[in-house]
Amino acid sequence: MEQHIGTTDFNILLATDSYKVTHYKQYPPNTSKVYSYFECREKKTDPTKLRKVKYDKTVFYGLQYILHRYLKGQVVTREKIQEAKEVYREHFQDDVFNEKGWNYILEKYNGHLPIEIKAVPEGSVIPRGNVLFTVESTDPECYWLTNWVETILVQIWYPITVATNSREQKKILAKYLKETSGSLEGLEYKLHDFGYRGVSSQETAGIGASAHLVNFKGTDTVAGIGVIKKYYGTKDPVPGFSVPAAEHSTITAWGKDHEKDAFEHIIKQFPSVPVSIVSDSYDIYNACEKIWGEDLRSLIEMRSADAPLVVRPDSGNPLDTVLKVLEILGKKFSPTENSKGYKVLPPYIRVIQGDGVDINTLQEIVEGMKKHRWSIENIAFGSGGALLQKLTRDLLNCSFKCSYVVTNGLGVNVFKDPVADPNKRSKKGRLSLHRKPNGDFVTLEEGKGDLEEYGQDLLHTVFRNGKIVQNYTFDEEWRRFMCAYTAREDFALLDRRTERRKYRQRNIHSLIDVAKLPPLLYNT
Amino acid sequence: MMAAQDFNFLLATDSYKITHYKQYPPNVSKVYSYFECRRKKGAHFNEVVFFGLQYLLKKYLAGRVVTEEKIQEAKVFYQMHFKQAVFDEEGWRKVLEKYDGRLPIRIKAVPEGKIIPRGNVLFTVENTDPDFYWLTNYIETMLVQMWYPITVATISREFKKILAKHLKATSGSLEGLDIKLHDFGYRGVSSQESAALGGAAHLVNFCSTDTVAGLLMVQRYYGCPMAGFSIPAAEHSTIISWGKSREKDAFECLLDQFPSGPVAVVSDSYDIFKACKHIWGDKLKERVMERSEDSALIIRPDSGDPAQTLIEVIKILEECFGCSLNSIGYKVLPSYLRIIQGDGIDLNSINEILEKLSDEGWSAENVFFGCGSALLQKINRDTLNCAFKCSYVETNGKGMDVYKQPVTDPSKGSKRGRLSLRRNSDGFIETVERGAGKPEEDMLVTVFENGTILQEYTLDEIRKAAQLWEDDMSPSQHNKEDATTLEIHQKHIMNGVH
Repeated sequence: MEQHIGTTDFNILLATDSYKVTHYKQYPPNTSKVYSYFECREKKTDPTKLRKVKYDKTVFYGLQYILHRYLKGQVVTREKIQEAKEVYREHFQDDVFNEKGWNYILEKYNGHLPIEIKAVPEGSVIPRGNVLFTVESTDPECYWLTNWVETILVQIWYPITVATNSREQKKILAKYLKETSGSLEGLEYKLHDFGYRGVSSQETAGIGASAHLVNFKGTDTVAGIGVIKKYYGTKDPVPGFSVPAAEHSTITAWGKDHEKDAFEHIIKQFPSVPVSIVSDSYDIYNACEKIWGEDLRSLIEMRSADAPLVVRPDSGNPLDTVLKVLEILGKKFSPTENSKGYKVLPPYIRVIQGDGVDINTLQEIVEGMKKHRWSIENIAFGSGGALLQKLTRDLLNCSFKCSYVVTNGLGVNVFKDPVADPNKRSKKGRLSLHRKPNGDFVTLEEGKGDLEEYGQDLLHTVFRNGKIVQNYTFDEEWRRFMCAYTAREDFALLDRRTERRKYRQRNIHSLIDVAKLPPLLYNT
Repeated sequence: MMAAQDFNFLLATDSYKITHYKQYPPNVSKVYSYFECRRKKGAHFNEVVFFGLQYLLKKYLAGRVVTEEKIQEAKVFYQMHFKQAVFDEEGWRKVLEKYDGRLPIRIKAVPEGKIIPRGNVLFTVENTDPDFYWLTNYIETMLVQMWYPITVATISREFKKILAKHLKATSGSLEGLDIKLHDFGYRGVSSQESAALGGAAHLVNFCSTDTVAGLLMVQRYYGCPMAGFSIPAAEHSTIISWGKSREKDAFECLLDQFPSGPVAVVSDSYDIFKACKHIWGDKLKERVMERSEDSALIIRPDSGDPAQTLIEVIKILEECFGCSLNSIGYKVLPSYLRIIQGDGIDLNSINEILEKLSDEGWSAENVFFGCGSALLQKINRDTLNCAFKCSYVETNGKGMDVYKQPVTDPSKGSKRGRLSLRRNSDGFIETVERGAGKPEEDMLVTVFENGTILQEYTLDEIRKAAQLWEDDMSPSQHNKEDATTLEIHQKHIMNGVH
């Protein structure tokens, strides 16, 4: 992995909420340590709107990116201190910046950050309300540093939320795929990332797309692959794939009366790989019935199972459109019945629905297809905005709070507990994460983890004084996901031991011998 | 200005676009596309602020964006990603050889900061050399991300309209309007880059922010040395670290450390009402009262129902500190005391709070607002229906107006032909299609051509262009095109959230 020191013009002294610049003056005198933690809070009292999806567990992912890109190595220089000083002077119209504190870090630590971060391994699937990582200052002079980095660390809400939401969609797809086809083959290509243009920036695209690739392998958001290769590493040449596909401009550029010529040209350009062709530029139903179903039928029937035509609707109510398209294609290309009694189109033709797909409509569509006796083998989905952008920190209540300080040599467990909102109460004291004998996760507060009754702390030091001491490769993420996936409740899908074994062998794309995993974390 | 060095432009597109050069009709020599915020029936925002293109041009599109190394990197990558060789290596090498790696593209755009009604062209993109017809839509992915700064700037301005209306109505003036909404969104966005872009977009309308990244963005890309300001303020850790029994000591420390200039103190760590009544309103009352108008204590609630909590807090403060009436008869707290509500604020709740306050006789001068995710994250491309579509091509030397018109969704229909933007005889802005526009009337300006930025805007110019109009400050709306009222505009920012 590269040894670059973050982005060259990135200045961590300017990467915090303004008010945090003034916090060093606000802690109690003689404070020598501030210890904080991050969790996806549980929300016990749900308001009247009942969430269809519960999100009771979250996928921990994305810390390594932040550590490598922004926190490791020499992040403080004389120039950066000067730049920050000048900016804050104007921004506050006052000299409130802690120049002395940052100079201390520059001189004593050669600009490396004297903090320690302990975290759950990346890819772990942990129930809400548990500590996921802790941050503490390692030098009494730098007590103020712990919460300086809150702003940058809390942005981990995003990769966590994308990975979690993507995984919940995988569970839905797996359930219906299994029910309607008897197997999970092709599951990892059932939800394709279409979100590059719909996110707020290039950087977000990279982070979000990589989080989706923890669960799936199909993506058009090229940026995600770069993030994985650069910050995680993978044994595979690339962790994500795509296929040739049309967009509206490559169809409409032929003119309204030449849609058939456009379709024919494109399908002939890509004879031996899957090709997806958006078919709703004028009339999706006419395109399916007349052009695909009649004019170009023989061209399609020639295609192999490895190189299907994938018909793409892109407007109208998602469920209605999918069902109608399947119905029309079913009339023109006779489906067969699979071992579970569901209809499957011939292998040379499939459908991809890439418009209006979010976790709710996804559920509606697969349920609707099942009701109409269509196997999920027939379809793949694309999701853009809902996958990578339509998410906020509130979805999983991601929060960073101080829980312990040392003042005048004495440790104090601290917390907030606002009278008007019990959900916002924070944890107390030093925290650790453990696995109970029955497999449940538990967070111990107030330093109780020291007592060793619950065994090993699942939080490992990943960062200390500017150095990254633990790295996870993307393959390990997969492994942890897989194991979490075969955790007890998800086993409903895979009812026999042999099925489980076959599934693991078939679907892990390399390397992983599940049986060899540390028993502490994963009991399957 | 040179685009980012280690950024590979060839890898900054949707995968499928790699395959599009093979899909256009043979002998296509021009592809012309445009960007708009489509109009949709029942939509909540009728006009948009155009902002953010200059950032993209300077950071990613200007200068030499293609090198041999980048071509090789892309070639190797796409071979593995598609499991076949489909990448247009020759096409990109031509860009390198013919134009020294600069993009043979022309972009014409509305001046930044301008307020444009929905459903109008905002910018157009076309190739300037027939060999590069495929380049126009290659850069769609990157350019469509314009949805974000446009949407943040637009939403931020909608907030400003609401604030202006209430401030005018309850105080008679708009003094302090531009610091009424503080950006709290840095931690709640999806990345550092989004924070910078979103933070900058907010600064088009306001100059109060804690999102430092936005200040730097505007400094580097829009020529403004310092676009926003902040004040010392507490967070929960700096209060709770004193221990539950010492909240008063924590508060007092804040007053001591920041004697001059305003200071905001979050007061809900345990019990916001008790803190206001017993600590601020009693134990530390004298300390509070000795502060000047320029050094106000700003009390920050941070939990509970925003409107209810605010009303209860302001009543307690009235009891403890008294109040006076302003020139138009609304109550104002003493000048050394104010409130900032920074939790649960969005377009709905801010209007609700200000309405409740004025119903109870309180001026909007008493309150400031902080907004995080509703400003910078809780938005998406569908909020303003931002879309990029091809509207014109030239094939075999002949021009043709093209469009999509899906029978399954008429609102997704696109414009036809070459486009221009003009102000018609009634004074309304409209888009002229099919190449029928007169060049002298066209509001679109060529901002980028063949790798060079031809027109730049400063934040000062943008702020001026995006100012509120007289009509924005009063309940009657100025958009004469449909009958929706301001009240309907203010419902629900987002569609389809979980």
